[in-house]
Amino acid sequence: MKRIGEPILTVDAISLAFGGITALSGISLEIRRHEILAMIGPNGAGKTSMLNVINGFYYPQAGTITWKGETRRHMRPYQAAAQGIARTFQNVALFKGMTTLDNIMTGRLLLMRRNFLWQAIHFGPARQEELAHRTNVERIIDFLEIQAIRKIPVGRLPYGLQKRVELGRALAMEPELLLLDEPMAGMNVEEKEDMCRFILDINEEFGTTIALIEHDMGVVMDISDRVAVLDYGRKIADGPPAEVRISPEVIAAYLGQQADPHPPGDGMGGG
Amino acid sequence: MDLLAAVFLAPIANMASNPEFVLEVVIGGLLAGVMYSLVALGFVLIYKASGVFNFAQGTMVLFAALTFVGLIERGVPIWGAFVIAAAVMVLLAVVVERLMLRPLVNQEQIILFMGTIGLAFFLDGFGQLVWGADVHPLDIGIPKAPLIIGGVLVNEFDLVAAAVAASLVAALALFFQRTPIGRALRAVADDHQAAQSVGIPLRSIWVIVWSVAGVVGLVAGIMWGSNLGVQFSISLVALKALPVLMLGGFTSVPGAIVGGLIVGVGEKLAEVFWGSAFGGAIEDWFAYALALVFLLFRPQGLFGERIIERV
Repeated sequence: MKRIGEPILTVDAISLAFGGITALSGISLEIRRHEILAMIGPNGAGKTSMLNVINGFYYPQAGTITWKGETRRHMRPYQAAAQGIARTFQNVALFKGMTTLDNIMTGRLLLMRRNFLWQAIHFGPARQEELAHRTNVERIIDFLEIQAIRKIPVGRLPYGLQKRVELGRALAMEPELLLLDEPMAGMNVEEKEDMCRFILDINEEFGTTIALIEHDMGVVMDISDRVAVLDYGRKIADGPPAEVRISPEVIAAYLGQQADPHPPGDGMGGG
Repeated sequence: MDLLAAVFLAPIANMASNPEFVLEVVIGGLLAGVMYSLVALGFVLIYKASGVFNFAQGTMVLFAALTFVGLIERGVPIWGAFVIAAAVMVLLAVVVERLMLRPLVNQEQIILFMGTIGLAFFLDGFGQLVWGADVHPLDIGIPKAPLIIGGVLVNEFDLVAAAVAASLVAALALFFQRTPIGRALRAVADDHQAAQSVGIPLRSIWVIVWSVAGVVGLVAGIMWGSNLGVQFSISLVALKALPVLMLGGFTSVPGAIVGGLIVGVGEKLAEVFWGSAFGGAIEDWFAYALALVFLLFRPQGLFGERIIERV
């Protein structure tokens, strides 16, 4: 049985706007160690913006981010990656000309000896290190059951497999927090089942904390320990799946009943 | 009929009757080709790392050579001038990254390309402002005497230039293809955002690549400058690098080398043996005609990554 621990990441009163468009308004959210947190909400609710704030692609105008006890105004992508936050993207962002193996190897770059230049000059030890990392990557490839496509350029793979390779690259970073942006979008039932299994295994075997965005409610209710619901850049619910499912505000947000205080066209950011 | 004979028969007969002369022309072409390769390399490095065609590469070659020759004229010894000029190119890389690449991160490639056009104009003007617009003769002590090796006439300067280029290329190949930096480089070229998400320090990679391209440009500038004098037409050698890149492929370091050699040999042979059939001066346009043929039949070049893999 896994034990959900203290918050590993806390965002406090985060606000983010692009010009006059508000993507996030004063959102506070905790991600606790070892949990699977699902972020849900209608399109444009600010879910992806939230992930982008967490891993440093966006700088919020207000609020703070506390990662493992250290509070910042914002993250930088390099910082986030170096400190154990890995992610995947809504529209797969792989290195399309490179093979599966090479793509996943890029996830090890930060774990290789820090001094890039030194590595470039110092061949012997560098090669040994490369081999050690290679072993690790092969283990991930086995885990994700993608041995057969190791040497294929990922641009040629079907979408579902690309998503899997992307997950592999994130895993190769040995992250403490894994951010998954719609890991099952565009997948068929079988692929979704596989992906669910991988996510649960990662969470259980490696104890990796996972925050994911997903639209498939069945999946969300099945695999997540906690669900946060965003709507128009605000958080409208946060709790165990069973509770969130029956929250009137959540139902209103999804079904668009008159409980919704926002007229259509009220500011919201890119999904 | 006369034209056909002049194109297809006479040159072949001419070549067959004088094989030693052909060899001489080929060697001369190879050595000249190395110089093209050197310029093309600068393009390839930056293209690989940022997916952008650096329009300013030719101007960078000129600017580096101007800095080098300017320092020598002010009494700085050659090695000192080389080190300082290299440092200036590294500084330039830092400035380019800070002022041009960083604000344009994640933008379309065409926008970065426009940025490099702006950079070309800026460097052009800035170089003239600092070092003046005169032609500077440059002599770094490479002997230019003709040598006879095995009965073949070779220019000693060309030999030295070829040796310098070859060792530079070998070093670069090791640096970029046998180290994790190579992988990081390709990753950055493929997808900025994804590269950032795995923690590749985009900015350092860019500074490294532009610095290396700058130093390669410096070497190319010194070599061309010793031959022709350092003058503004040097920035036009970059135009000769274009057909080299089309032959070799924009993404391939070996491609730049082989492409340069093919262009060098091709245009020398064409000039000497086919020149009279076309009224001479083939050398100036032969490379472009060859590149055109390649564009028709093998658009990714000899060594470029197959485009189908990048869709």
